[in-house]
Amino acid sequence: MIKFDTSNDDISVIVPDGERMTATNSTSFKEQIIAHVDEGNSRLVVDLSGVSFVDSAGLGALVGVLKRIGNRGDIVVCGLADSVRQMFELTRMNRIFTEYPNRAAAVAALKDSL
Amino acid sequence: MKVVIADDDDLQRAILSAALKRMEHTPIEAVDGLQAYDLLCEHNASILVCDLNMPGLDGNDLTKKVRETILDRYVHIIMVTGHDQEAVRQNALHLGVDDFMGKPIDTATLTARISITERLVQHENLIKEKNRVLEEAKAIIEQDLHAAAIAQKRLLPAPRIETPLCCFYSAFVPSSYVSGDMFATFELDGNRTGFYAMDVSGHGVSAALLSVAIGHLVTAEYFQRNTFADDGTPDPAQLAKTLNSRFFHDDSEDYFTLFCGVIDHDSQELHFCQAGYPSPMVVTKDGTLRDIGDGGYPVALLPDVEFTSERAPLLVEDTLVLFSDGATEAEDTQNNAFGRQQLSQIVLDAQARDLNLMPDAIIAALRAWRGQRTLDDDLTVLVCQRRFPQ
Repeated sequence: MIKFDTSNDDISVIVPDGERMTATNSTSFKEQIIAHVDEGNSRLVVDLSGVSFVDSAGLGALVGVLKRIGNRGDIVVCGLADSVRQMFELTRMNRIFTEYPNRAAAVAALKDSL
Repeated sequence: MKVVIADDDDLQRAILSAALKRMEHTPIEAVDGLQAYDLLCEHNASILVCDLNMPGLDGNDLTKKVRETILDRYVHIIMVTGHDQEAVRQNALHLGVDDFMGKPIDTATLTARISITERLVQHENLIKEKNRVLEEAKAIIEQDLHAAAIAQKRLLPAPRIETPLCCFYSAFVPSSYVSGDMFATFELDGNRTGFYAMDVSGHGVSAALLSVAIGHLVTAEYFQRNTFADDGTPDPAQLAKTLNSRFFHDDSEDYFTLFCGVIDHDSQELHFCQAGYPSPMVVTKDGTLRDIGDGGYPVALLPDVEFTSERAPLLVEDTLVLFSDGATEAEDTQNNAFGRQQLSQIVLDAQARDLNLMPDAIIAALRAWRGQRTLDDDLTVLVCQRRFPQ
């Protein structure tokens, strides 16, 4: 089960469950976040500092959430491990998801953008 | 229900038999353990009521033999013993007896014991039937998947293709029956060779449906039509763009990575579009290795993204090595990825020996890395070497 931290105004920090975002857990990851988005939370920080591996299905799940949010909100990522960043760069997802070094910086940036 | 009664006491046997008949069961009488065993096998019975003390094979020996040899069904064994034989019952339980009845047998106890056992047997039969149906369904699905795997492989080029301008050597290993990978090579007009390799996100049947759709769609004619600008310059990004428009759906996360290229043998250049597919390696004749490309948006993941055509030199005798991410991401038992560095070494070693064997060398190295476990992602290796024009 992923964790949601909603202690920062209307910003939700999402921490994926486990070190890997793969075909095994990406559908559940996406569905849990989409349910959260559908409850009216559309400004999201996905904290990947505990994630060491994202495969193509994991990336697809993140983009699925992005599509659901559309223009209603924002989704950013933080704490990318080198291997995860390489995956983001190879697929140009670094141009789609703004990256911050850590959770505090990501939350601060989203607050500023209000 | 058939119930084998094993008792050397004629009167005891007759009482049990009569009681079972009243309960509308079919008693099968045996005068000793050995006969009881034979009758259990002959009648395929699943309930045995046996006395402990019998000549020859006693109740315990019979229980042991039944547990050791009758493995196609569960035989429920109810043993008849004295009420105060606790130690005897412990031992019999250990040997595999399920339940006990004390002597003298009263009909109410017998009815209750047999009814419980009957329910268990019926439940087992129900599970057995469900298993049979599932096994049948599984066999049909496996048969279909085998057929699908064969059909998919027929779409692929031969593992070894030698044209006057270049040679292709390839390997294609689905993680299961069918693969979400696909690739093809084409001889194009004007001294050019085309190719693509793609990898659908995820694996299994849903990924294979998309990879096969691409395999059917991207024919030589389609490739030629979609990889050149109006002025005849190779522009493989057009192919990625066309496929993106065709396969992007707002309500789906199915997407694929793609690397498509056109080798211009006159200018000795590779024109390519990298759409999220791993950067291929180029090995020169003197053993220098370099990576091609630094990424690009995958196809069908997002609408209206930009795909770019790039160029890189590809000289005669240079070798281009494409591989899906199943190669670099293959993990050992401690979840360590194989990685590009190890892959580079295998590529260099194979290039120095026999290029023809490079795909198999990569597969062998990955299998060894995984401790001979099957690959957990689909794998494609496509090796292309330019030749001197003949």
